[in-house]
Amino acid sequence: MSDKMVVDIGKALTSEKINSINEEKIIIATENLNFYYVADKPALIDVNIAIPEKKVTAFIGPSGCGKSTLLRCFNRMNDLIPDIKVHGKILIDGDDIHSNNIRLEDLRKKVGMVFQRSNPFPMSIYENVAFGPKVNGENSKSELDAVVESSLVQADLWREVKDRLNDSALDLSGGQQQRLCIARALANKPDIILMDEPASALDPISTGKIEETIEELRGNYTVVIVTHNMQQAARVSDYTAFMMVGELVEFNDTRSLFTNPNKKLTEEYITGRFG
Amino acid sequence: MKKGNEDFIKKGDPYILLTSMGLVFTLTMVFVLLGIILVNGLGIFWPSDLYEVKLSDNRVLIGEKWATDLKKSQGEADITRSQLKIGNRDIYGFDFAWFQDKEVESIVANPELVLIERYEYGNFYGYIESLHTESNIYDKSSENFVDKILVTLSMVDDLKEEFVDKRKEHTDLLSPLNEIRRGSSLLKMNEEYLSSDEKELLSEYEQQEKDFLESNNHDIVIIENEISDLDKRINEFFITVRTGDGIEKEIHLKDIVRFHQPNIMNVFSKTIHYLAKVWEFVYDGPRESNTEGGVFPAIFGTVMMVILMSILVVPFGVLTALYLNEYAKQGPIIRMIRLSVNNLAGVPSIVYGIFGLGFFVYMIGGSIDSLFFADKLPEPTLGTGGILWASVTLALLTLPVVVVATEEGILAVPKANKEGALALGATKWQMIKDIVLPNAMPGILTGLILAISRGAGEVAPLMITGVVKLAPAMPFDMEFPFLHLDRKFMHLGFHIYDVGFQSPNVEAAMPMVYSTALLLIVIVVLLNIFSIYLRNQLKKKYKTSSF
Repeated sequence: MSDKMVVDIGKALTSEKINSINEEKIIIATENLNFYYVADKPALIDVNIAIPEKKVTAFIGPSGCGKSTLLRCFNRMNDLIPDIKVHGKILIDGDDIHSNNIRLEDLRKKVGMVFQRSNPFPMSIYENVAFGPKVNGENSKSELDAVVESSLVQADLWREVKDRLNDSALDLSGGQQQRLCIARALANKPDIILMDEPASALDPISTGKIEETIEELRGNYTVVIVTHNMQQAARVSDYTAFMMVGELVEFNDTRSLFTNPNKKLTEEYITGRFG
Repeated sequence: MKKGNEDFIKKGDPYILLTSMGLVFTLTMVFVLLGIILVNGLGIFWPSDLYEVKLSDNRVLIGEKWATDLKKSQGEADITRSQLKIGNRDIYGFDFAWFQDKEVESIVANPELVLIERYEYGNFYGYIESLHTESNIYDKSSENFVDKILVTLSMVDDLKEEFVDKRKEHTDLLSPLNEIRRGSSLLKMNEEYLSSDEKELLSEYEQQEKDFLESNNHDIVIIENEISDLDKRINEFFITVRTGDGIEKEIHLKDIVRFHQPNIMNVFSKTIHYLAKVWEFVYDGPRESNTEGGVFPAIFGTVMMVILMSILVVPFGVLTALYLNEYAKQGPIIRMIRLSVNNLAGVPSIVYGIFGLGFFVYMIGGSIDSLFFADKLPEPTLGTGGILWASVTLALLTLPVVVVATEEGILAVPKANKEGALALGATKWQMIKDIVLPNAMPGILTGLILAISRGAGEVAPLMITGVVKLAPAMPFDMEFPFLHLDRKFMHLGFHIYDVGFQSPNVEAAMPMVYSTALLLIVIVVLLNIFSIYLRNQLKKKYKTSSF
C-alpha cells in the first residue's frame, strides 16, 4: 500500500464539513438502471445512485467502467447512439426523464453538459454563449447581452474576452475554449451541469482554472463530474462515486471515501493497486 | 553496377519520373487546347490586309489570305496552292477560291480595296465607285468621299430606327384587332357546326372588327403612309461597287453593317476596329444563320440556364443529402440509395435529355397546358421545349454531383459540435440549421461548382429540351411577366455545334466556332471563379475547430 498516495489525496481534500448523503436533498436518482449498447452486454448493471442537489459529485473508476455512460444517461445524450436499451428509472426532481411528458429539449436545457474535448461552435464568442438561450426561444437583445455577460463571469472568462466578444471562438486557447463551453452551458440557466472529464485534455494551469470555476459553481448548481484524476476528484467534489465494470461499487462523501473506504475494491483502486 | 540499378529502382526515381511525365503530358494537352482556341478565337477580329491577285487566265481575285498548302506529286514539281477569301457570295456563289502559286501574275495590296460587311450575302471585297443619296451622286474622286459615305450610313441607320419605331406603333395600333380576329377565326373554322349563341358571337366579332376599322381608319392610313414613305426614302441611298473582274453592283446602305479599307489602316484604327468587332460579337445578335454578328442571345441563354439550374439543383440536392445523412436510419436500403444516386452521375447525358423530353416536356408540360392554357391549344405553351424544362433536365443531371459533394460537407462537420448543440437543448432541425448547414456550406458550394462546370458544357440533353438555332426572343425581357420560362433559348455549346457543323457555309464560319468556344470557356471559368470565391469566404468564416 502506498502511503504517499493516501497522504496526497488527504491534502487535496476540502476541509469543509460535509453532511452525510442521507441528510441532503436529492436531485438525481436512478432505480435499478441497466444500460445496453449491445444486447446482452450491459454497460451499466443495476445502478442505484442518489445525487444531492447543489453539490459537486465526482464519478471515478477505471476506463470503461461506465462512468461516462452513466453521466450521459442523465441528459439522454446516449439516445444519439442507435440500438441502445435502457432499463430502470432515472428520476430528476422526481420526474422520470424517459416519460412521455418530458420534452427532450427541456431536459437538456435543465441538464447542461460540458464535454471532454472543448467543442465551441465556429461562431463568435458571443454567439456561442447565446446559442442555448436562442434555440430555447430567447430573442431579446438586452436579455441575451445580460445572459452572455453573467455566464462568462461565472465561468471566469469575462475578464479575458469582454473586449472581443465578436471574435471567433476558435481563436481562444484550449483552456479558454473549455471555460467558454462551461459558460455556454450556464447560459441556459440549468439546474444540473454534467462534466465529462472536462480537464483531461488541458495543461495543469488550465486545469487549475477549470477547477476554480467548478469551485465558483458549488452551492448554486448541481455539478456531476467524471474524472480520471483522483486528486481532482478529491479537490473539487463533495461526494464521490466509485464504479467498476458497470457497477456502482461505493458512493459516499469524498472525505470518507478516500480516507476510510468501505469496500476493499475502492481501497485498492484509490491506493493505486490497479486502474 | 547492378547494385546501383537496384537502388535506383528501390528509391523510386523512375516512378517520380513517370508521375511527372504524366503531369507534363496533361499540362501540355491543356495548354495546346487553350492555345489553339485563343489564337484562332481572338485572331479573327483583327482586320487583315486585302490583296488583288491577277492570274494567268485573266481572272482577278480580291480577298484576304486564308490558307496555303503544299501538294507533293511524284515526278513533277511540288504544287503550292493558296486560298483566298473572296466573299461576294451574291456574285460568285461561294466565299473561297483556290489558285496555284505558279498561275499568279501579280499580287497587289491596293490601298483603295474595301471590305464591306453586309447583313446579307456575307462580305463584299472590291472597290467603291460612287455614292447615291436622295439628292446627289458623289463620285469616288470627290472630296472626302469615304467620310461622306460614313455620314450617310449613320443617317440611314437613324432612318431605319425610325422605321422600326413606326412599325411598332402600327402593330400596337392594330393589336386590339388581332384579338378580335383570333376569336372570330376560331369560330369560322367550324362555321357549319356553330350553335346559335356562337353564331351571334361571330357576328358580334365581325361587327367589332368593322367598327374598329372605321373608327381608326384615319390613323391607320396615316401611319401606313409614313411607313411606306420611310421605306422609299431608305431605299434611295446606295453605293455602286466594282469587283476585281469588273462586275458592277449596287449595294443599298441599309444592307451595310460597316466597311473599312484595311490596307490603309494603321495599328490604332485597326485596334479600334478590332474592339468594335469584339463588342459586336459579345453584345449583338447573330446574322447570316449565325455565321456572322454576335452571340449575345447565346451568352444570355447559357448564363440564365445555368443560374436557373443552380437555383433548382442546390436546394434539392442539399435536402436529399441532409435526409440521407441526418434523418434516415443508416442501413442496407440507404446504402443502396446512395449507390444509385452516385451511379446516376454516370448515365449518358442524352438519356437525361430523352427523359426530360418525355417526362417534363410532354407529360408535365402537356398536363399543365391542358389544365391552364387550354384556350391556346393546339399550340403548346409549356408542352414544348423551353428554358424551364432544359434547366430542370440539367438540374436532374447534376443532382448526383451536388448530393455527393454536400454529403461530404455534412460528414466533415465535427460530431462534437452537433452533440454540443443538442446538449444545449436544440432540436434536431435547429442543430441542422445552425451547425450542420453553415459548416457544410463549403461542401455545398463545391457541389455547385462541379454542377456548373458540368451543366454549362452539356449540349446533348438541351438539343431536345429547348435549345434552338435562333430564338426569336430572349427568355428575359422588359415585357410582362419579364421572365419567360416557356421560351426557347440559345446556348453557346449548341451554337458551336450549329455554326461549326450545321451551317451552310462551314468554312467561313470556322473562326466563329473558335471564338464561341473561347467565350464558353471564359464564361464557365468566370462562373467557377465566382463560386470558388464564395466558398473561400465561407471557409474563412467556418474554419474547422483546431485544438
